Amino acid sequence: MGNELYFEDIKVGDALPELSKGPIMKLQHVLYAGASGDFNPLHTDDDFAKAVGMKDGVISHGMLIMGFVGQAITAWVPRKCLRKFGVRFAGMTKPGNTIMVSGTVTDKRQENGENLVFCEVVARDEGGDVKITGNFSAALPLKRG
Amino acid sequence: MADSTKVGKTFDPIVWEVERGKIREMAKAIGDPNPIYLDRDAAIRAGYRDTPVPPTFLTVPMMWSSSMPVLINDLKINFMMVLHGEEEYEYYRDIYPGDTITGVPKVASVEEKTSKAGKKMDMVTVEILYKNQHNEDVAKARTLLVERK
Repeated sequence: MGNELYFEDIKVGDALPELSKGPIMKLQHVLYAGASGDFNPLHTDDDFAKAVGMKDGVISHGMLIMGFVGQAITAWVPRKCLRKFGVRFAGMTKPGNTIMVSGTVTDKRQENGENLVFCEVVARDEGGDVKITGNFSAALPLKRG
Repeated sequence: MADSTKVGKTFDPIVWEVERGKIREMAKAIGDPNPIYLDRDAAIRAGYRDTPVPPTFLTVPMMWSSSMPVLINDLKINFMMVLHGEEEYEYYRDIYPGDTITGVPKVASVEEKTSKAGKKMDMVTVEILYKNQHNEDVAKARTLLVERK
């Protein structure tokens, strides 16, 4: 936010600052359901979740975990610089999990007059299980614009 | 199984008025303390016109409009067997409180795939291009639904 990030300062292989989120509480699922409008009871009703095969009860909204990744990204690059952000949902998250978001710069190039950096991101739980893999691109300013 | 004759079909537009309170609510639900999402003055100091929307905000109009259940029914997808496989956003312009954004859901593709374990799945990609009240493209959302069979 305050500290400017410039295209010249980014190197392929650089790591994003890691973000730790959690442990996730069921209450956060209720908050996220209300905010997002995703009221699938799979995320808020243990009885329902067990009835559809989740033996431990509710699972987190995948989009909540993508939201954590978005938090990590826009803590690093300014929101207005973000051009593209995509994820694959690789595993289910449960209450009690702590999610670690990490990322790496994979490429940087100038394209259509923009200075783009490309990064991979991954969200894992405390046991190392992968919940999300994804990538994003951001257009950064040059030191001498 | 997903009805592949529906590729290219568009659905009723999602029309959504963006509110500062909803942006703050979404950031708080995620637990994102970034002041640009929570406080208009902080956002302005950081170079925004108002509080911008968090990167995954476009799930809000999509979910509150219930457009996805309508589409899933229309494509004859078994709701109990559907998983959210992927989500991707492209960002073209800032979205701020007071904007009215309109998105038209479109079935981009329906493909059958076989998993490594030999199970067949239908992969349904839905794209929603959002425009603002000035008819400018602001973002595109792409959702991959996976129907296990």
